[in-house]
Amino acid sequence: MPVLTRDSPVGLTLPEFACQFTLAHFKRADEQTIHTDMEAARREGLPAPVATGPQVAALLFRQLRTCYGRGWIEGGRCELTFRRQVYVTDFCVARGVITRREDSAGGTRLHCDVWIENASGDKVIVGNASGIVQ
Amino acid sequence: MEQDPRAPEAPTRVAADSKGPRAQFDDIEVGRVLGEMEWVVTEEMIDTQCAIDADYDVWYSLESPWGGRIAPPQISYRPPRWLLSRTFNVRGLFYRWEMENLRPIRPGVTMRVSARISDKYLKNEREFIVYESEARDPEGNVVFRTKRTHVLDFIDRSAQRAGEGIDSGIKAERI
Repeated sequence: MPVLTRDSPVGLTLPEFACQFTLAHFKRADEQTIHTDMEAARREGLPAPVATGPQVAALLFRQLRTCYGRGWIEGGRCELTFRRQVYVTDFCVARGVITRREDSAGGTRLHCDVWIENASGDKVIVGNASGIVQ
Repeated sequence: MEQDPRAPEAPTRVAADSKGPRAQFDDIEVGRVLGEMEWVVTEEMIDTQCAIDADYDVWYSLESPWGGRIAPPQISYRPPRWLLSRTFNVRGLFYRWEMENLRPIRPGVTMRVSARISDKYLKNEREFIVYESEARDPEGNVVFRTKRTHVLDFIDRSAQRAGEGIDSGIKAERI
């Protein structure tokens, strides 16, 4: 059952999903990438290997699937901006809040602000998402 | 003026990697079609995507309301990126991701994925490119749409291109 329904109020906080990333999360075979290798990152001007954006954003996708259920799979939308680097050993948590409701042909579209914070509270990914609820 | 030997080395942007020269901002033409590809998600690809993202769900692993397993929608990240990489060697960093999930991604269904460059711009002395993509099922229904923005380099555009990178934008086309 999805967490959100047509009765979910604006201002409701979404459940959080967190991960303590490690280098092992980003290893793919023996590839040397900016996500796994210090020298590969340094040559691109990065101080250290950075997490892959989609893997960090996946915390939000778990959150949105949990919140919207079918409404995420059929009609789910999001717009995310990767504002800051996430390093491969960072802790991250996905957060969100309902901001708006909209009547839609298939039900009620609930709009949310969503974001990912690191351990310092910096918002490393910010954006919005929406999905249909019944 | 003589350079202070203690001064840090001037930063450079990577000029090439093992897959060839890096794409230059001027080479990227707005409107350029990045081509099409057929894409069939397999059960193994779903397993891999769930493991990569530590995103496990009954719908993704066992059974869903659509009959059988479906893939996590974010599995759609890769084919549009592959289409970009077939035309332009862009390592860069991912900056913005718009995603619209219209239908479930089901294993064994052949989708046609197409993409095109839709914009490019400069911001904060960095070079950004935007591309859009959609996938259709065999009946012609749109399964997903996406719009992505990548910054070509982490280092700003005033830096010269020189030297070789270890990583590349061109990678094996696998989940």
